[in-house]
Amino acid sequence: MRFSRRALFFLAVAVIFLLMIPPTPLEFRWLNLAMAGLALLWAVLLGIEDLATRRRTLRQGASEVANDRTSRTDVT
Amino acid sequence: MSFAVVFVIAVALGFDFFNGFHDAANSIATVVSTRVLSPRQAVAWAAFFNFAAFLIFGTAVAATIAKDVVQPAIFDNQVIFAGLIGAIAWDVITWYAGLPTSSSHALVGGMAGAAVAKAGWAALIGSGLQKIIVFIVLSPLIGLLLGFTIMVSVYWLFHRNKRVDRLNHGFRRMQLVSAAAFSLGHGANDAQKTMGVILALLIANKQVAADSGVPLWVVLSAHTAIGLGTLFGGWRIVHTMGSKITKLTPSSGMSAELAAAATLFFTAHAGIPVSTTHTITGAIVGVGTTQRLSAVRWGVAGRVVWAWVLTIPGAFIVSYFVFLPFKALG
Repeated sequence: MRFSRRALFFLAVAVIFLLMIPPTPLEFRWLNLAMAGLALLWAVLLGIEDLATRRRTLRQGASEVANDRTSRTDVT
Repeated sequence: MSFAVVFVIAVALGFDFFNGFHDAANSIATVVSTRVLSPRQAVAWAAFFNFAAFLIFGTAVAATIAKDVVQPAIFDNQVIFAGLIGAIAWDVITWYAGLPTSSSHALVGGMAGAAVAKAGWAALIGSGLQKIIVFIVLSPLIGLLLGFTIMVSVYWLFHRNKRVDRLNHGFRRMQLVSAAAFSLGHGANDAQKTMGVILALLIANKQVAADSGVPLWVVLSAHTAIGLGTLFGGWRIVHTMGSKITKLTPSSGMSAELAAAATLFFTAHAGIPVSTTHTITGAIVGVGTTQRLSAVRWGVAGRVVWAWVLTIPGAFIVSYFVFLPFKALG
């Protein structure tokens, strides 16, 4: 399964926030976690949106093919 | 107060003026590129809110610059002068090249370079520098994420509204508020760095106690200098920020500025000297990403990133060599 580039981009942003936790001063580490969570949320939502768009496209394509066949059968 | 102290304070305020000239253009890039305000009006708007920032924010960033980057005992007139010259030289080079780099990091690099030239690596405070370096990476990413989030929220809230003209009119008005908020954040962050330098100078010359806060006259003069610098503007950089990274509309300009302002308010409150340039660039990239990744001109963004990476080492090296003659003269 291929995910959209935007979903992967936000996944990478989340990873950077997590990787930056060790050098971040203790009092600001909550910020890394919160931002990594937000980036991960966007990665998941964009991934779901991408999947939904593909399914819709596939379904539309399939119904167009079915309509085309029906119309050809009607003509014959 | 000796002539040398007055002279270095004048150089520090000159740096602040140039900081306004160089960085504050970012505050108005989005309002100018979306034609919400004319360049002249935008500059006056930003300058006013740069100045007004002293009424709202404390001086935590100034304290970080004065006490958490270089061991306070190392500071003297020559170190601060060499640090400022290194930062100014770096700013001039990047301004000429039209690169939106950070005056703030140039200042940190400059101070660190001059201090190392005087007393070696032990002159630096690792924990303070670590905090600043970590936020070089984090602040644009926070701006990016908040920019994306605000932009998507705006789409969700208004996508059913068919009256596009009226909606755009509303966003244009909101952009005045967001530009003002960003200018407040910019004033709070960048003017405080100069306050920090002047505070370090005053402590080194025993004009104020080591544990004292920033005197009011220093606060007012730093905000005045950055406000005046903004009035003169830096149009090369406005062009890069406002149009070259991604195409902005009133709603995306507003979202980018609100995201950057929120980041700057947090860092000013937490005493972390971050770059307003980094933050607004991240936020502009964030709102551009809501369209598609290719809506962002990554080549320009990459050039900007290289300039960021080179800023601290660049200013460090210039200041190091500026300090050497002082060291030779003893």
